[in-house]
Amino acid sequence: MRKKELKLVVTFYTTADAMAMEKACKEQKAPGRLIPVPRAISAGCGLAWCAGLDARDALRQLMDRMDIEEQDIHECML
Amino acid sequence: MNLADSKKKLALAGLGCGLVAACLAFFGNPANMAFCIACFVRDMAGSLGMHQAEAVQYARPEIVGLVCGSFLIAVVTKEYRSVAGSSPLIRFVLGMIIMIGSLVFLGCPLRMVIRMSAGDLNAWVALIGFILGVATGAFALKQGFSLGRSHETNAASGAVLPAILAGILILAVCTALLKASEAGPGSMHAPILLSLAGGLIFGALAQKSRMCFAGSIRDVILMKNFDLLTVILGLFAVMLVYNVALGKFTLGFDTPGVIAHSEFLWNILGMYAVGFAAVLAGGCPLRQLILAGQGSSDAAITVLGLFFGAALCHNLGLAASGTALNPETKELVAGAVPVNGKVACVICILVCFVIAFTNKRKVRK
Repeated sequence: MRKKELKLVVTFYTTADAMAMEKACKEQKAPGRLIPVPRAISAGCGLAWCAGLDARDALRQLMDRMDIEEQDIHECML
Repeated sequence: MNLADSKKKLALAGLGCGLVAACLAFFGNPANMAFCIACFVRDMAGSLGMHQAEAVQYARPEIVGLVCGSFLIAVVTKEYRSVAGSSPLIRFVLGMIIMIGSLVFLGCPLRMVIRMSAGDLNAWVALIGFILGVATGAFALKQGFSLGRSHETNAASGAVLPAILAGILILAVCTALLKASEAGPGSMHAPILLSLAGGLIFGALAQKSRMCFAGSIRDVILMKNFDLLTVILGLFAVMLVYNVALGKFTLGFDTPGVIAHSEFLWNILGMYAVGFAAVLAGGCPLRQLILAGQGSSDAAITVLGLFFGAALCHNLGLAASGTALNPETKELVAGAVPVNGKVACVICILVCFVIAFTNKRKVRK
């Protein structure tokens, strides 16, 4: 079984923002992948962006640049 | 214990929901309609006099239990959030479309799975339409479809629907004000307390597991993630065992007594409309009830759309009829979708396309 580790989880108000995040990250070669919102987190549209903890600043800058509104940024064992 | 932090626990939640459905079927709910959101909302609309189809009028405690179960567990686990303001009238229309599509097929996605578990091949045909509908919705999401974000609102606003439904149940139990069928599917039901308890348990499990029939397929398409599908498979497995064990498993089309029809195209198109509209609305009919329970007024508006759609279906002759035996001649009378229902279904699909490709994510800059 894969060992769980602490990850960065970005949640969004709308699915459209989550999809925009996926597109932007692919285009900009930013780290991470789309996941269902972990059930430990009570928020969001159902989709979230998951990346390593060290990607926090890069993702923040990317979301600001691409006008993607995040709901929250969590740290979760995944 | 976190009920939803592993696939095994999600499957357990699905098994729990399946047990509730099997139990309610055993104790009196109609065959293969053990727990159908569309049918039960339609019955509630009938009990309130919103339509006059005498065979389908009953204030189903399961619906009250689902919403109140979700509300209570959300409050206890601090997940209750009163939100509103995400294109409410478009959601109302999507609720109507979900109900019209469901009554063309004769069941919501939950009943489709329950019918599949009983060997009803019409439901397996309809699954094709449902998957295609969800896929079309997922495509729209990829193209930037959005109904806009919801916002925090007064805490009491999110509790209105649970309160209204609880009030309806009290009226049903304590007065003779509401209509109740004396024959037909509406007259077949488990005891009230059992139905209510089943609804509460189902609602709590669905809230914690985020159970959603449209979402489960959407997640597979968008992320190749099978978590939500695990919950559905758990429910399917229990119902399959129940049906086989009690001799209720009949593989075939045209099965009398199941309340289904064999018009393949309309089974597919009905569930196509449901799958498409459910993705646009952010969840299947079950998920809308659960979200409404945990405080979303947007989902509550979609639920009101379900009620309105149910009334339209029976007042305007849109709902399909099920295959049945003629009690006098003992001949099999094939169920069918009326012309009005076919036209409505096509209009619903067209409206879904208009909604999907005219509501886009707004960029501020």
